[in-house]
Amino acid sequence: MGLVRVVLLRCRALFRRAATEQQLDEEIRLHLELETEKNRERGLAPDEARREALVRFGGVEVVKEAHRDGRGVRWIEDAFTDARVALRLLRRNPALSTAAVITLALGIGANTAIFSAVNAVILRPLPFPHAERLVMLSEDNPEKGWRRQTAAPANYLDWKERVHAFADVAAYTPGGGATMSGIDTPRRVRARAVTGNYFSVLQVRPEAGRVFTDAETWKGGTPVAIVSHRLAQDAFGSDGRAIGRSVSLDGARTEIVGVLPQDFTFAADSFDVWQPMAWDPQSRSQVFFRRAHWLRVVARLKPGVTPQAADAEFQTVVHQLQGEYPLTNKVMGADLVPLHDFLVGDVRTALLFLQAAVGLLLLIACANVANLLLAQALGREREAALRLALGAGRARLVRQAFTESLVLSAFGGLAGLALGWWGTRALAALQPAGMLPVASVRMDVSVLVAMVGLTTLTGLVFGLAPVFWSARRVPAEVLKEGERAGTSRRLRHWADMLVVGEVALALMLTVGAGLLVRSFWRLQHVEPGLDPHGVLAVGIDLPRGYDSAATQRTFFGALQERVRALPGVVDVAEALVAPFAGGGVGYTSDFHIAGRPANDYGTEIGHDYVTPDYFTALRIPLRAGRYFTPADRSGSVPVTIINEALAHRYFRGANPVGQRITFDKFPDSTSVWRTIVGVVGDVRQSGMAIEPLIEAYEPAAQQANSYMTLLVRTRGDVAALTPPIRRVMAELDANVVPDLVRPLERMQARSIADRRFIMWLLLIFAATGVLLALVGVYGVMTQLGRRRTREMGIRLALGARAPQVQWLVVRHGLQVVLVGLVLGVAGALAATQAIRALLFEVPPRDPTTFVTVSVMLALTALAASWLPALRASQADPAGVLRAE
Amino acid sequence: MPPTPSDVLRGTLDLLILKTLALEPMHGWGISQRIEQISRGVLDVNQGSLYPALQRLELKGWVDSEWRTSDHNRRARYYRLTPQGRRALGTETESWQRYVAAVGWILESA
Repeated sequence: MGLVRVVLLRCRALFRRAATEQQLDEEIRLHLELETEKNRERGLAPDEARREALVRFGGVEVVKEAHRDGRGVRWIEDAFTDARVALRLLRRNPALSTAAVITLALGIGANTAIFSAVNAVILRPLPFPHAERLVMLSEDNPEKGWRRQTAAPANYLDWKERVHAFADVAAYTPGGGATMSGIDTPRRVRARAVTGNYFSVLQVRPEAGRVFTDAETWKGGTPVAIVSHRLAQDAFGSDGRAIGRSVSLDGARTEIVGVLPQDFTFAADSFDVWQPMAWDPQSRSQVFFRRAHWLRVVARLKPGVTPQAADAEFQTVVHQLQGEYPLTNKVMGADLVPLHDFLVGDVRTALLFLQAAVGLLLLIACANVANLLLAQALGREREAALRLALGAGRARLVRQAFTESLVLSAFGGLAGLALGWWGTRALAALQPAGMLPVASVRMDVSVLVAMVGLTTLTGLVFGLAPVFWSARRVPAEVLKEGERAGTSRRLRHWADMLVVGEVALALMLTVGAGLLVRSFWRLQHVEPGLDPHGVLAVGIDLPRGYDSAATQRTFFGALQERVRALPGVVDVAEALVAPFAGGGVGYTSDFHIAGRPANDYGTEIGHDYVTPDYFTALRIPLRAGRYFTPADRSGSVPVTIINEALAHRYFRGANPVGQRITFDKFPDSTSVWRTIVGVVGDVRQSGMAIEPLIEAYEPAAQQANSYMTLLVRTRGDVAALTPPIRRVMAELDANVVPDLVRPLERMQARSIADRRFIMWLLLIFAATGVLLALVGVYGVMTQLGRRRTREMGIRLALGARAPQVQWLVVRHGLQVVLVGLVLGVAGALAATQAIRALLFEVPPRDPTTFVTVSVMLALTALAASWLPALRASQADPAGVLRAE
Repeated sequence: MPPTPSDVLRGTLDLLILKTLALEPMHGWGISQRIEQISRGVLDVNQGSLYPALQRLELKGWVDSEWRTSDHNRRARYYRLTPQGRRALGTETESWQRYVAAVGWILESA
């Protein structure tokens, strides 16, 4: 009861403050009136009666203050008063307030957008129950330089059975696609093969129907599939209607048994169909089941088992397998990492780098606003001194100053959140597809909370400088110093230090951006080894019915002929895999060169199957020997063309043409020996930033495959080529649907798109940072110029020339900027090592970048300090002196 | 001139207000007059300090107040003792008397 009453009274005091004050006034007035009347009745004169009443009452204001304190809400009222005063001050100086709010908004907005991405990718857990127990198992081969590569099926099965720390282990294919027919027109879908326990390991429940059973990992029973919510809606109208439907996947009748929830996502993959592995149980004992590595493996740890403990047991099993299967596993290591870490992968470095960059940007923004506030504090120095002299507590002044900073940062924060909301959407929309391995990037509650916290912190940070400064001043001095005395030395010192900090931070940002720009510039001048301009790549996956090499070659031969007849088409060729597509090479293997010792082999070799026209169509130059010809066909001498990298590394100047090579580590009677007939230029198959692999091409006629990529060079518009190619394919066989259709140029660009995107982001941040720093330099120099106008006037009057007096200001600016630059260079030297992974052929301490950036910043900063100097020196000396 | 009035002992003001209000509800000035009258001018209440004291008592819940029109047709805030305040007056008076008695003994025995 008592507490409620107190709270009620205090609330009334707080919210009905005006009424409470008025009531008190009225009470006191009545009291004084009655007392005065009494005194008059005693015979006092009216004035004397009133005076006596006041004396007896004893200090009206003191009583009121005591009453206010008694309400127990004093500090809240003070806060409101402070905020009102702060708002009034902000309104009184709109230019300064706007500048501060914009500066803060830029800093907080950039942080919001980047933090949204960091939050979505790095901080937010994966969307699976107990996702922290999911780990990724991969294979390493130190001899071949494999790191976290796909695993062989037989090894996967042994891990699943032998490691007791795992509750269960599932596997899936990284990619995959299928032609789906039997509903309407045949369509191409992204399809992933998974083990039967895949969904139960992830603990994903179907929206309709069922998930696969463990037994469905193996062949037997009718083929089944699970489809995405999107496909079910699109093809069947509803989830329920899809269940039990039979479709044809690559020509095989398949029953749809389940539909996944709409929000199911594994990394950013957009698969529509999942099929069980349906392995033949016989395969398990076959050597290829342990030699070919093509599975991603995800395990769920038993409750209470740490990844470290699981890894220890896992490594024991891996070691056992090395002993048991020396032929395939002798140097095969394995690796266990939390699934989240694996999926985040390389983008973590980039995101943390960007987060650090926007952090620097925010610091620059804070320094700038602190500078603005200092300038403002300068104008209010006398006010502060007067208040101190009149007995205001220093704590009260400090609080007032902090409140002002917080009000300012609240406005900046609001504008920053708006900017950040927009920036987050832009970031999500503009990121190169798949760069951020999550379904969505958006501002959620945790981002909001973090940003509100950051805003408050920001207010405290930039509020610090002016507060400390003003609280340490001795009022008497300030008041004595008079009108011109605003130029306190300590204040100037603070402002200079802030500019030093800004310049240093801006330099660090710009060096980072400069390194990325130079990397990207280098990257753009790397020779891809072919001419991708005007080339369209069309993936073609032949369905069942094209099982023999002969039928495959017949179809592709006929298709080539028809496409070649299309208007505008210059060249037509085929390859197993187009350059820049995913891994770039079709597959890799061991190899052995005839006449060399058995151990004379190093890293693995990449393979591609190509038609004779491939090299001319893509303008890949011949270095020695010959290209393939139609005579290199099935049944003729097996031949191969190698790339320069292989020629250089393994033939060391000798002519490789005519030598023989086989793609087995230990050749035996079954090995196919291929004669090297030519050497071609290196192609950056795996992406522009990746050194070309050593590589061997084999004629498509000798290595037929049901999946090939058609490469069509046109004189005209690449995009306009797609419909006629679809048409001629449909004319040949309506069940053959093109897989991915992409211009080669775009694939090349995609291989460096992440770097380009990160570079642009950093450039924007760095430019903003530099701009803010220059504003800071300009602001401080303007203050300096203003303070020395009088001195300049006297000097000019005494005959000094304008450049001489300008130098007074510029020299100071130069000193400040130089100190900033030196600190910035030191900081950048220490920090850039961390971004080595993002650089390309540019060392983290690249002297060119450091020097260029420093000189550019120094020059612009010089300009920013020269301008105010110029203006100050142009003032009319007589006028300035009279103004005193 | 009356004898120099002694300051109201700190802390006793609350007790005096409660005692005064025990007779009838009163406004601030009325309370000050009553205390002066009854103490025959010995106790001089610093009239202003009544108001923070009244606020304190109100927060404790010992008095409450309402705006009423006075005998002379003026609006005034009248303070009234709550039942809680009445109980408090009893215990406060008792402890005051014990205090006075104790001080008295000390002075007499010295």
